[in-house]
Amino acid sequence: MGMIYLMLIVSLCIAAFFLVFFLWATKNGQFDDDYTPSVRILFEDEPKTKDE
Amino acid sequence: MENCYHCGDRLPNPPVSFDQKAFCCQSCASVYSLLQSNSLKDFYQFEKNPGIKPKQGRKDKYQFLSIPEIRSRYIQYEDEKITRVKLSLPSIHCSSCIYLLENLSKIHDGVLSSQVHFAKKEATIVYQTQALNLSEIADLLQFIGYEPDFARKKESKSITKSFLLKVGLAGFAFGSIMLWSAPDYFGITLDNLQFRNFTAYLSFVVSLPVLFYSANEYYVSAYRAFRSRNINLDVPITLGIFALYAQSTYQIFTQQGPGYMDSFAGFIFFLLIGKWFQNRTYQALSFDRDYSSYFPVAIHRITSGNKSEIIPIEQLKTGDHILVRNEEIIPCDCFLLSETARIDYSFVTGESALVTKKKDELIYAGGKLMGVSIKLSVKSETNRSHLTQLWNETKDKKEAHQLVRYQDRISRYFLLVLIIIAFVSGVAWAFIDPSKIMPVIVSILIVACPCALALSSPFTLGNTLSVLGKNGLYLKNTNVVESLSEINTIVFDKTGTLTDPLAYQVEFHDKGMTPEEWNVLKELSSHSTHPLSKIICQQISRETHSIHLNKYNEIKGKGIEAENGVHKYQLGNEEFIGNSSQNNQHGTLFFARDGVAILHILIKSAFRSSIKELLSELGNKTVFVLSGDDEKDQPELISLGFLPEHCFFKQTPMDKADFIRKRKHLGDKVLMIGDGLNDVGALGTADVGIALSEDMFRFTPSSDAILDVKHFYLLPRFFHVAQYAKRVLKICLAFSITYNLIGLSFAITASLSPIIAAILMPISSITVVLLSSMFIHIKYWKQI
Repeated sequence: MGMIYLMLIVSLCIAAFFLVFFLWATKNGQFDDDYTPSVRILFEDEPKTKDE
Repeated sequence: MENCYHCGDRLPNPPVSFDQKAFCCQSCASVYSLLQSNSLKDFYQFEKNPGIKPKQGRKDKYQFLSIPEIRSRYIQYEDEKITRVKLSLPSIHCSSCIYLLENLSKIHDGVLSSQVHFAKKEATIVYQTQALNLSEIADLLQFIGYEPDFARKKESKSITKSFLLKVGLAGFAFGSIMLWSAPDYFGITLDNLQFRNFTAYLSFVVSLPVLFYSANEYYVSAYRAFRSRNINLDVPITLGIFALYAQSTYQIFTQQGPGYMDSFAGFIFFLLIGKWFQNRTYQALSFDRDYSSYFPVAIHRITSGNKSEIIPIEQLKTGDHILVRNEEIIPCDCFLLSETARIDYSFVTGESALVTKKKDELIYAGGKLMGVSIKLSVKSETNRSHLTQLWNETKDKKEAHQLVRYQDRISRYFLLVLIIIAFVSGVAWAFIDPSKIMPVIVSILIVACPCALALSSPFTLGNTLSVLGKNGLYLKNTNVVESLSEINTIVFDKTGTLTDPLAYQVEFHDKGMTPEEWNVLKELSSHSTHPLSKIICQQISRETHSIHLNKYNEIKGKGIEAENGVHKYQLGNEEFIGNSSQNNQHGTLFFARDGVAILHILIKSAFRSSIKELLSELGNKTVFVLSGDDEKDQPELISLGFLPEHCFFKQTPMDKADFIRKRKHLGDKVLMIGDGLNDVGALGTADVGIALSEDMFRFTPSSDAILDVKHFYLLPRFFHVAQYAKRVLKICLAFSITYNLIGLSFAITASLSPIIAAILMPISSITVVLLSSMFIHIKYWKQI
């Protein structure tokens, strides 16, 4: 029976971890712009010919 | 290749060619060459012809950005090394734009980094304070085609971070409590009370933030509604929340089980998601612009000693002398100090012809100066000008008029019926078993909690909003869908709405031209840079076999003249020709040989091509035209299908608003569609005000919706969509009420248990959400 208490606490911790993660992401502006990053990632990184 | 490699416009003949590619103008070619030389050729890879044709601005256009008060509006952070600025760039439209703007640092070394927010059409630029200043950034952006919009606008009400936190918390509580309650539902915990109590207390703790933080908006709204005796759906919701919570807390502390905590958290979670869906709006569009975003940010003031300085328009005082230049907007009511001025009031009054003002005459704010610079003396400050007052007056009226939503009308009956049912069952149970009176009444309040009811409206209307948005009609919020479905009267503005400001109809009235002189006219007009000359030039199809003219002389705002050795030819307005006969129609241009007018040219804006079909599709709706212009277009309006007695001319902005107010008093539901500032009053007064716009991200008068001109012909179908949405809403409401009745039957018979509530509530909500989305999106999957 002790096992189920442990499971309960673990489940609560996991859920709390995701909650904190979500709150952090929100505060950090991860949900501010849901379009631009999807385009930005497709831009080719330029080979650095200018300096060399 | 037929289109400009940069902006995709039609190529002129001959095109500007550069680097073996064809361009429509020199500015496009120079942007191309700038991008090439900075190894940004990928710009042309993502989309075909992604560029924007840059507008030529005057050199000192952004000089006002050196004034500290104005500068500080856009600067986010500044020290000796770096400056961060956030600018609104309405031209952002594709992924190539993001590519170019985020690589600004390659074009100019002073720029350190730049980041685009596509949905808001904003760019945040970090640059070296020493190397660049803000007006140079603005010049650079203008040069590559992204003219910044410096007009002030209110921060659009987007989904805030705190709202996401609320949803997150509620979701967390819902999931956790549901998990812990599961053993209880299956009867596993009956023989282990210690475990059951442990989970129950845990649920209680987790649900506290949901009660006090996530759901607080509902209490506030319900309290307000209750105080103003204007019951809305939040009242039964709040009642239900409290009943749920009180009952569960009682059960937990008397150690009877975990109560309804999972239903409680789930309920709030679903409600908040509904609210989130409803509040997703168009971030880059601004529906509530006030007059300050129409007027220029700064103006040239003439100081003693005839020097000019730039000041923000808020600092203008009565009696100041100001300088206004070609195509600038007059910022306040003024007296003219120069000899004459020609002013375009079409956006403000709806009058299409230019207005000529003489020295010492009063000029109202809002007109656009056409021609040479003028000096003015300020009569009243901007916020007291005629135009601004009109604007503010309608704003107050709009706030007074409150729309009672369909959902709220239903919730009044809902609350009434609920109280009656609770009372009757209480009395009935007093005879059967008095100990069960309280539990029964509480469970009635719990199951009646209108979760599905509360979700049906946001999802149905929110889906409709997105369907309409895909078809070019952008609504301010979901309430507009309901108003749109009830419209029976439509009022059109004429200038700019029924007529196309970019299309012209040219009438020539020949007063003795020789065939040779048509060629002279074509040659003469092709030498002028004035837009009207270009229109005339296009209209003359006769072949030009190298006419030779000399002594060209163009006088800005008046006309152009030249000689062919024998005669002197002039093209211009009546003042220029010296022909001031009374029966000339206003706005007529003249072509003269040696000072005698031999051709009258009348340029009218043409009607949009789609209007006739549009009117026939409108069916039995009453249609009116209110025009600020004179009657000259009446025959054409009638031929398009308007009734002569429904066309009103020479309407001032006040007249328009009054007309709509009168129709509303007669019980009509009025839709106003217009484009200019003269319609602001009418747009605000009407049940639905639609602003028609060529470019939605630029200035539009405040309104309930913005319609893209390209989709004007769809107007009749928008009503069908709104009416259909209303029917779907009714179906969803019927569904959710059925669910409530099922729940009530459990509650009245005192057999409601947490597990029934936990099943019924999510099922009803999910059905309603699915139903509304399916009904709307399947029907309008491809086209409306």
